[in-house]
Amino acid sequence: MTFFIILGIILLTLIGTPLFAVIGLAALLSFYFADIDSAAIFIELYRVASSPTLLAIPLFTFAGFVMAESKTPQRLTRLSQCFLGGIPGGVPLVVLMACAFFTAFTGASGVTIIALGGLLYPLLLKEKYSKNFSLGLMTSSGSLGLLFPPSLPLILYGLVAQVNIDQLFIAGLIPGLLMIFIIALYGMFISSRLKIKRTPFQLGDAAQALRAAAWEIPLPFAIIFGIYGGIFTVTEAAAVTAVYVVVIESWVYKDIHPFKDLPRLMHDSMILVGTILIILGTAMGFTSYLVDEQIPMQMLETMQKYIHDPITFLILLNVFLLLVGCMMDIFSAIIVVVPLIVPIAKSYDINMVHLGIIFLTNLEIGYSTPPVGINLFIASSRFKEPVVRLYRATLPFLGIRLIGLLLITYIPWFSLVLINYLQ
Amino acid sequence: MQILRRFDHYLAKFESWVLVFLLALMVLLSFGQVVLRNVFDFGLLWADTFLRQLVLWVGFLGASLAVREKRHIAIDFIPNFLPERWLKPLRVVVDFSTGMISLFLLIAAWNFLQYEKESGSILFLDIPVWIFQTILPFSLGVIAIRFLFRSLGGALSFWKAEE
Repeated sequence: MTFFIILGIILLTLIGTPLFAVIGLAALLSFYFADIDSAAIFIELYRVASSPTLLAIPLFTFAGFVMAESKTPQRLTRLSQCFLGGIPGGVPLVVLMACAFFTAFTGASGVTIIALGGLLYPLLLKEKYSKNFSLGLMTSSGSLGLLFPPSLPLILYGLVAQVNIDQLFIAGLIPGLLMIFIIALYGMFISSRLKIKRTPFQLGDAAQALRAAAWEIPLPFAIIFGIYGGIFTVTEAAAVTAVYVVVIESWVYKDIHPFKDLPRLMHDSMILVGTILIILGTAMGFTSYLVDEQIPMQMLETMQKYIHDPITFLILLNVFLLLVGCMMDIFSAIIVVVPLIVPIAKSYDINMVHLGIIFLTNLEIGYSTPPVGINLFIASSRFKEPVVRLYRATLPFLGIRLIGLLLITYIPWFSLVLINYLQ
Repeated sequence: MQILRRFDHYLAKFESWVLVFLLALMVLLSFGQVVLRNVFDFGLLWADTFLRQLVLWVGFLGASLAVREKRHIAIDFIPNFLPERWLKPLRVVVDFSTGMISLFLLIAAWNFLQYEKESGSILFLDIPVWIFQTILPFSLGVIAIRFLFRSLGGALSFWKAEE
């Protein structure tokens, strides 16, 4: 009986039933069989809602949507082009930096490829980078930057795993830079093999580009230092960011009309928040029921027969999360998988902050992993190329990022050094 | 059918305006708190609790609007490999199941509200908690109706095409 129910639920999921409904069904059925009132589904939602950080999610999301709609991508690209065009592999580095900045604010909902693709892809082709390299770079960069504050997945992980978000924000810095660095090395290698000409640095252009982006570039730094300097909390940073972004984009740059554009952007950004929140609503009650029923502990008992050391556990976790990452979007993956993995990881003595960074790095890579990673489909429709071509184009990048993933997973130092240093 | 569609259109307009109003309120109030705390060393005690309730309101209004724009997160793996003519009936099945599940979730949310009402807990300024929780059954109800309505529409158009 249970077997057929699970099979039915999986089938419903794969034919495209929204996840909140599928998880809701699982919760309703298991509460029914356990004789628990189904009202209990929503108790956990109100526990999450009592966390002060929840407010940061809509505020940062809204700010990200406002920036995506304004001319921030253009200013950002121009600025990094002026400063990085002079070094070998400079243009790929421009792509990486611009995408990372952007994804940190928009939370990898596919917005990066859509907003920056039309700008950066032609730039790569104009500089005579091959089509496959350019497509692969754009697709892989679409989720780069998830590890930088104030990315939405980081906040969500902190909420679900009950980990301090201030620590997560700082833990992601070095691993995030490491990922950029590794791909940038590959870009340098390609550019020297293709003998790509460099654009010399010009002071006038650079100063002009710097002045144009002067209101936006300090933002991520202000957030990091503000939180660590004890000036404001994550939530306060979100409130200030939202107001600041609206003010500069509509009054300083005049890219956004406060009455014509803002209501639409509010509407669109809150639809994204709503689709995450409703999954949070149905899933948190269900996963806490599973934890109460000792399901993770039973999984752990079976695992402990075969796996004795944390390293083997982490290898298995990486494989599992890559699979999850290419099947599910990052938000629902965090909400559903994290509560079940946390008790297991704890018994293998994995640091919870480090676990969060492993989670996000894995899911970030899963996003552009063939055959079903969502970024592949977004890029395919954005650049009008068949998905199969993108499979081939992203493969070298996948290999490189896996090296980065291994480093981040097995050397906790990358994630924890800054936290230990600051404490 | 036509009247229902009109009604849904106006309902969505209404939801959207409430959402915009509440989000604007949320941004201004949370910013105001930061200013009060840092400049005047003073904060409104009820504001933080109220803001967190606003998140749920804004989020669930977004969730019910997301049905109309087909933005709910789903893993549609199988439809990528199916012939075109299978997609429409499959959509009807998906919409119908989602609608039915949402109905049961609505019942769960309604019971949840009743328990809170009985326990009579108060959030701040003498406002009972359950008033804020009305958004759950409201939004789930709208979601259920929108999905069921769409599956009906899909089934009807499919049936007509078959004839």
